[in-house]
Order: sequence, then C-alpha cells, then structure tokens
Amino acid sequence: MTPLKTVGHPTHRVDALQRVTGGAKYTSDIKLPGMLYARVLRSPHPHARIRKIDLTKALALPGVKAILTHENCDITWGSGDQLNQRRLFNNPVRFAGDPVAAVAAINRHVAEDALHLIEVDYEVLPFLTDLEEALKPGAVAIHAGGNLSPNNQRQPVPQTYKRGNVADGLKAADRVFEDNFTSAHHNNAQLEIRVSIAEWSGDKLTVHAATQGIANCRTDIARDLKISADNVRVISEYMGGGFGNKNQCQDSDLMAAMLAKQAGAPVKLEFTRKEDFVAVHGRWSSRQSYKVGVKNDGTLTAIQMTALSGAGAYRKGSCDLSGTEIYQVPNLETSVSPVYTNTAVAANYRAPAYPQAVFGIESLMDDVAYALKMDPVEFRLKNMTRKFRDQTPYTSNGLEDCIRKGAEKFEWAKRWKPIAGSGPGPVKRGAGMAMGMFGSGLGRSSAVLRLDGQGQYHLHVGVTDVGTAAKTTMGLIAAEELGVPLEKVSVIWGDTDTCPYSVGESGSRTTVQTGMAVIEAARDLKKQIADKGAPKGAEILTAMATTNPQALQGVTRSSFAAHFAEVEVNVETGHAIVTRFVSAHDSGRVVNPLTAQSQVQGGAIQGIGMALHEELLYDKRSGLPLNAGYYGARIMTHLDAPLVDVVWVETDEPYGPFGAKTLGEPTIIPTVAAVANAIHNAIGRRIKSLPITRDKILGALSGKDVLA
Amino acid sequence: MKKISRRRFVEGTGAGIVAVAAIPEIKAQDKPIATSPSVPRTTIKLNVNGVDHRVEVEDRWTLVELLRDHLDLTGTKIGCDRGECGACTVLVDGTPLYSCSQLAVWMDGRSIQTVEGLAKNGKLDRLQQAFIDHDAPQCGYCTSGQLMIAKALLVSYEKKNAEPTRDQVRTAMTGNLCRCSNYNHYVEAVMAAVKRPTVTLDGGNA
Repeated sequence: MTPLKTVGHPTHRVDALQRVTGGAKYTSDIKLPGMLYARVLRSPHPHARIRKIDLTKALALPGVKAILTHENCDITWGSGDQLNQRRLFNNPVRFAGDPVAAVAAINRHVAEDALHLIEVDYEVLPFLTDLEEALKPGAVAIHAGGNLSPNNQRQPVPQTYKRGNVADGLKAADRVFEDNFTSAHHNNAQLEIRVSIAEWSGDKLTVHAATQGIANCRTDIARDLKISADNVRVISEYMGGGFGNKNQCQDSDLMAAMLAKQAGAPVKLEFTRKEDFVAVHGRWSSRQSYKVGVKNDGTLTAIQMTALSGAGAYRKGSCDLSGTEIYQVPNLETSVSPVYTNTAVAANYRAPAYPQAVFGIESLMDDVAYALKMDPVEFRLKNMTRKFRDQTPYTSNGLEDCIRKGAEKFEWAKRWKPIAGSGPGPVKRGAGMAMGMFGSGLGRSSAVLRLDGQGQYHLHVGVTDVGTAAKTTMGLIAAEELGVPLEKVSVIWGDTDTCPYSVGESGSRTTVQTGMAVIEAARDLKKQIADKGAPKGAEILTAMATTNPQALQGVTRSSFAAHFAEVEVNVETGHAIVTRFVSAHDSGRVVNPLTAQSQVQGGAIQGIGMALHEELLYDKRSGLPLNAGYYGARIMTHLDAPLVDVVWVETDEPYGPFGAKTLGEPTIIPTVAAVANAIHNAIGRRIKSLPITRDKILGALSGKDVLA
Repeated sequence: MKKISRRRFVEGTGAGIVAVAAIPEIKAQDKPIATSPSVPRTTIKLNVNGVDHRVEVEDRWTLVELLRDHLDLTGTKIGCDRGECGACTVLVDGTPLYSCSQLAVWMDGRSIQTVEGLAKNGKLDRLQQAFIDHDAPQCGYCTSGQLMIAKALLVSYEKKNAEPTRDQVRTAMTGNLCRCSNYNHYVEAVMAAVKRPTVTLDGGNA
C-alpha cells in the first residue's frame, strides 16, 4: 500500500481544543432567550389504557406554559415505529416509560412539579415481559397484528434466509451439534442524555438536536410534522455519544417542537438518565437455537439458526441477527422472529444485529472445535468466509491476516489451554477468540468545497461528529486529495443551513460514503483551479459533489475483525475479569490511526461490558424495570477496562476513499464471543446466556442449568 | 411511593443512593406533591475559577445547576444528575466532587474550580495538552469530569512528592464513566502528564 502525505498519519482532532477546555457547545449547553424547560410524564404501568387525563391542577401551577397529551397532540413518530404508526403519546401505553404527557414551564423545577399534578386514570391491562410467552396462543396482543412483528414484506412470518439445503447438509455431516443461546436487552448508555431545543420563527422551525444525522433528522421532522423540509433547520454542533440511539429524529425533537408551538416560546426538552435507560432504546435481546453439521476433518456442511429477537413494545429496529455469515458453508437457513413485549423498545446499538448473534454462533463453533480436538484458531482459518454468502467475492478480505496476526500478538499458542478448565488454584486463566465482519450502510452524501482568495479551503459536510472524529477524517481526506496540509482546510459541519445533505453517522458509513463525496468535490475544485486559476481577493471557487453509491455488482465490500481475550475467573466467587485483549481489524487503509485506535479500544471495552455485566432487568411480576441507571447497568469503568492492543491489517481495497473501509461498528462485533470463549477455556463450562454474570458462572460450575 | 424531593435526594446520597437506584423507578402518580408558592432562597458568596460571585440561589439548586444555568459555565456536564457518572466533577476547595450531588447553598464561602479554570494565561494545563496528544476525548462529554478528577489526583501526588502508578490512576478515576470507553487513552494521557514536571494547586503550569 502506497503511503500518503496526510491520510494514514496520526492526527489530533481538529476540535480537540474545544473538547478539553469546555468550549465545545453541546445541545444541552445552549440557552435561548425566553427559553422554557420541558419534562415528560411516563406510564408507571407496563400496559394500560388511559381512561382520562386531568390537567386542571398542572395547568393552574404558576409557570406552566404548555402541556401535550395524546388528546391534543396526535403526531406519528415515523422513525419510532412506522409499521405500527407509533405516536408521540400513545393510548394504550405499552411499556413502563411510554410517554403520557410533556410539560413546558419557566424552569425545570416547575416542569417537574407539574408532572406530579397531572392526574391520569389508567385501566391496567395484562402485560408480557417474556418472548416465548408473548407468542403463545391467547397471549394479550400488544399490537393489532399480534406479537410476532412482521418481516420485510410486512407479512406476519419470520424473516428468513436460505441457501443450499440444510437437511441434506446435516445428513452429509459426520456430527451434528445443537445448542441454544440467549442475550439480554442492554442500553447504549451514552453520557449525553436526550435533549432537544425547538424554536419557531413564523413557519420556520429550528431544532438544536443531539443527533447522529442532521439531514435525516430534518427530513424526519418535516415528514412527521407535515411541514416542508425547507422550513426545518437542524443544528448539532457537538454530540455526546449515541452508539446508534440518536439516529434520525427522536420523539424529544417532535415534542419540543409541539410544545414550543403551543407555548409560543423556545423549549428545551430534557430526558433524565432514568428515562434514557427505560424510554430510549437499547440493543434487542435474543434467543437463538442452532444446528451445525460438520465433517470429522472440521469441514462445515450446514448451519441452521432459528431465533427470536426482543423488539420491546414497538418495532423501531430491524431486530435482525447476523452472525452466521462469517462462516463458509454451502447450506444455511436462518429464521428470525421479532417479538413484541411490554418492555423497553429495542433498536440500534453499535452493530445492532451482530455481537449477540456472533456470541451464539462463535460459542457453538468453539464447542465444535473442542469436540473435534481442533485448535479454535485453526478451525476458524479452515471455515472462515472466503466469499460472501458462499458466492460473491470480496473486494478485499483481510480476515485470515486478522486471525493470524492477532493470534501472534496475543501469543495464542502460549495462552490458550487445549483442555478447558485445567490449571491449579481457584483463579483460572483462559483464552478465547472470535471473528466478525460488517459491510457499511449505503446512502447519498454531498460535499461542498470552497477556495477563497486567501488560499484557505472551506469544506462543508453534513456530519455531526458523534465522537468518531468524523470532522477530522473529512478534513484529512480533502487535504490529501487537494495536496495541501490539513491546516489549509476549515471544516464546517453540524448545521443543515450551512451543510449539504449527508447520510448521517450510522451504519459506519461516514468515512466511506461522505468521504467519497469529499474526494469528488476536491477533484472538481482542482480542475476548476487548473482551468480558471486560483481565486484572488474576494473571489471564491466552489465545487459541489454528490455521490449515491449503489450496492456493488458481483463483489461485496466488508470489513473484518478477529478478537482475542484472556480472562481470569475466580471459581469460588464467580468473578471474571479480562486481563488481556487484542483487536485485529481489516478496515482497509486507516485514515487516522490515532482516532481509529480510540474507536477500536472503546468498541472492545464496551463489548466486554456487554459480555460480563449489562442487562436491563425487569421484574416479571410488576413489569417494571429494576436497574435503570448507571449503577444498575454496570457499564465498564476505568478499573474494569483492560489494555486493548490494536493490530491493523490494511488490505488493498479498491473502493472507498484512499482504500478505507468501515470501522466504527466492527469494533464490538467479535468482542463478546471472544470473552465468552475465554471464560469457557478458563473454567471448562459453557455459559450460554448473556451477560456472563457471577451467578451464571457459579451455577455452571455447580452443574445447574443457567439458561434463563 | 412518596416523591423524594431534590433536596432530600441529594442530602440522602451516599449510603442511600444504592437503595434508591435499586427501587423500581417509575412511580405511580397517586400522591401528587403540593408545590410551595414561594421557593426558599439564600444568598451565598463563592469563588469560581478565581472570580468572586455573590448570588441568590434557590435552596433546591444543585451546584451544577448554578454553574451551568446561572453562571454560564457549561463546560461541566450533566450525565446522570444522580451521582453515578462523574461527568459533573469539579474541585471544591481542591476536593473533587460530583457537582450534581452538592447543593448550591452549601458552597457559601468555598472556592470552585471547573474545566474553564484549568488553562491559565492562555496556556493549557499539561493535562489538557496530554488529553489532546493522546486523543483522550472521543465524544468529549465526560472529558471535563475526567480532567478535573485527574487534576485532583496529580495535585495530591505532587503534595506527597510522589508519582501515581497506572493502577492508582485507574482507581482514582473509576468514578468517572466514559461510554465511548476510551479508558486506555485517558489513562495514557494522565500518565504522560505525570511525567511532565510540577503542578501548582491553582491549576497552572509552574
């Protein structure tokens, strides 16, 4: 791979200074003149019909300026669940936390006080928290069509995929392995809570949103409020993390807009941390059943997966499960049924469909390898994907190098024990690995590049920078193509009035999609400079490019990763910690090794939390969430986090900006399975249910069935 | 269940907070509380980042509310508003505290240092520079809190004329969550700052 001048060198973020001085203005830092503060009242019941809402006392409280309920605000929140026409305020309410009312007042204390003066008469309905219960005949229907959420064709049947013939493949196998795995709903838990500020000026609405995509947030708001997108401006200058839960427009954006309209003043709507855990979505749970056919030499003949995924009370995400694609196998069948229950809504969280599914298939494949007395690394090298879906060649595939170089860095041969559970003493060490892949999302993106008479370039891109250093990445790509230092490129971002359309920071696609538009704009500008000469004085040269990539024909582009974990498990207390971790990644050329390393380390550490701690627990008798907060969620802390070594496998990728492939989401995909496999290697027991908490470890060691 | 007022909640933090977090959190609205027509107020004097302030605060305001909403120091962030995440960490007379869990009225006569007070005379604190060099902030929302806890740590070791180990840094900072989970780079940055000589109590580079 040819070294480049700007791309590929560790570079500080262009906004690093703002981020360390408190100068970066996040949405919650913005205060508008005359701004009101708003809070949301939520259902205390998992399932109930609202008979009556009495606002008399709340409206009488001095300082209350506007109250919305389902009676005066019938707005469909499209990106909340288009299928079921989810409203901002629903009746019936379908989970503990479903919004019932929103109040705007002169300050947040008055707004909070007003919530307690709203009198709601509920008719409590039967509720469901369990996926299997929800599918039983006679179960209370959470939506009109029943509790099995429809497939992509909107038919009330599971989402399926098939190639070859699994029955034949299982017949041809020497051995067939079957097992079940479960994973829990857990929260994105980004540090920045939901906050939206809305201000009307005549017909024109400005929303300061904490969003991952200003452009789709804008079009969503326009669609849901039935106004022209030309009249909507969305600003998101700094954004405090989302990991998928700030895609598109949020209910808070729409509520703030409607409150501002009713009150005739700007409104800042804030969710509390508790609301963020209960009423903002997390990763969907799953129940996965597998059959795997294998020859005695380790060759796979068939994989079958039948699964349920937990949509929660509404269908906000795909609820898909994607793990089996990392294996080369001629016969494959998958079936996924998203199921409604009266629990928190599930949707996108960093590689939404992947780490829980990879946990299932990679746990089972690990068992297959042990049963065949094969080294898990050798088993993966033998069976890893060489063609997408056994058919389409990859544009580049560094998975084998990820496995080999990752294993070398990790010192796999030294750390992995051929006999799981062996070793003296109560603290058992073990090593595990897993692999993963991810293709980036597609989408239209534009970039505008201007050159002024003083020789400064101005790059306008519709990114918000969710923490991935997207601004810096866009600047680096422009600088490289223009052949100028990064300082010569000013990046303008985060405002739909000053930035062209960008697909949004989801699906790990900013670098590979918006980055291509930046390159096209830079090429156009270079041509203009060659034709017309550089601008002088007040002159400005402007170039604009729009790219709208379609799926590649005859080839597939994917990023790859292999993760390696070493754990220590105390078999007397059940306490497990990760002591060593290696993430090996093929994301093509790495645009900025400094910030890319941050992402890989962060993804792995997040994944370790998913593997060991995180679950939003429900009390099955009351249908109420039990641990909605950081203490209860037990996300990773400084003390939990191991050092993560990063290994780059930079393949020669023909597509993408300077050969870059996607990175943000793959960083968490194999992590969970690698940790689970390391625990198995340490204690000689397979834990089949996420998270792998102490009680499950102790239960497995004492021989109890822990499959919840 | 009776609604717990903000003041009672904050005063009850410490031992009480774990119990509060474990209770099912969404409450039936069966006993609406009355709102007092006049909110008690107190005038306090405090010093923030070297500047003296005399302010009349509502007794229910937290310190972070005072800083962000009334003194326009928005560098300090609110991540949970319930003493769990550390995003709002500031130094009160040199001691790192969660400013969401301190009432503003308690700050009478005290000196507060926030992230805005770290840089001195246009010069970044060595921690800030190390945070930039090692790409410590990803989304950046927890960064102010991480800087302030690290500042307190460095000052305390400086007083002892000692240097913290990597594990001591991790232990000291464990009350400051980072969901981007950039813990490796945060610790790397703090260790790099440790290696640079001298730090003064007021936060400047000596």
